Amino acid sequence: MTARLEHAVGRVLRVGVITSSVFLALGLGLSLFVPAAAAGPVLLRAGLMILMATPVGRVAVSVGEYARQRDWLFVVLTSIVLIELLASVVAAMR
Amino acid sequence: MPVVTLALALIIFGAGAVAGGLGALLGIGGGVFLVPFLNLGLHFPIAAAAAISLTTVIATSSSVSAGRSGEQLINLRLGMVLEVATAAGALLGGVTAQMLAQSTVQLLFGIVTAVVAVVMMGRLGRRNVILDPSIDPGLLGGRYYEEESGGVVTYRVKRMPIALAASFIAGNLSSLLGIGGGVIKVPALNAWCGVPLRAAAATSAFMIGVTATAGAVIYYGHGQLVPPLAAAAVLGVQLGSWSGMRLSARASARWLKLLMAFVLLMVSLLMLARGTR
Repeated sequence: MTARLEHAVGRVLRVGVITSSVFLALGLGLSLFVPAAAAGPVLLRAGLMILMATPVGRVAVSVGEYARQRDWLFVVLTSIVLIELLASVVAAMR
Repeated sequence: MPVVTLALALIIFGAGAVAGGLGALLGIGGGVFLVPFLNLGLHFPIAAAAAISLTTVIATSSSVSAGRSGEQLINLRLGMVLEVATAAGALLGGVTAQMLAQSTVQLLFGIVTAVVAVVMMGRLGRRNVILDPSIDPGLLGGRYYEEESGGVVTYRVKRMPIALAASFIAGNLSSLLGIGGGVIKVPALNAWCGVPLRAAAATSAFMIGVTATAGAVIYYGHGQLVPPLAAAAVLGVQLGSWSGMRLSARASARWLKLLMAFVLLMVSLLMLARGTR
């Protein structure tokens, strides 16, 4: 059961890290060498968004996995973490 | 805000690689090196330095933890319990930053890291592991295969209130100073809560992604994050942490503890020097 959760979490982290790194590398390259290209800043922003969304995504996946295992204590704990992360987004927009 | 040039991007990429390598070895995000470098070395405003550093902490945490999945070294249950405290601390860090003078926070940080370094050095010869695999690790304990001793290692978690308090403080300092908070959590979990250093480092590295996200999102929302420089730092850190991870499996626990204590003392001196200026 733990192994399944570990793999699910690992997959979210791996996909998030690779995707954001590709976006950031392309965005940085464009910004430095083709400053006129509008795609540079867009790619950089997208890369940062994906980077910051990755831990949120792995907490969300954990909530789902614990719910599937009917481990309600950990459903509650991981849900609290998810709410705290969403609260930081609210704090960022104020 | 700093002007982005190719040279500056390259310098930050290199600094990120060094910070990421050391961070992966020690189970900390590497921000503890990057923030002083950007702030004292390159004269970035502390908010810009912290914002860049927090994005690298997220990247290190994600890539190190993804690479370790399947090894059972990360204590997922313990990590998720402690994340409730670190995320709350990180959220409140934004509020606390408004109420405390920066120098007060730096002095506090210097004192805390010095104390932790001394505790760490006093425990160099101790090991927290039970080598009998039939022992029940309990609700939050764990077991993993350790390369150094060539056997399955079991441990129980003691003194949860201390682990929760350390995680809360670590989350708070993470947002305030742009570090992951592993410098607080790893020694506390190891010295007081019975978690072996390797498991404490892996679990902390797993948690700091969540901690740093809570802080980074707030800096990003307030326009204090320079995207191209964050990208250069993140990519450098990826390279560094990838290399650091390959070394960490071979490094001895004693050597890791000594390196950690040395790093903590350096950070402490830097913070005290800046806080008393």
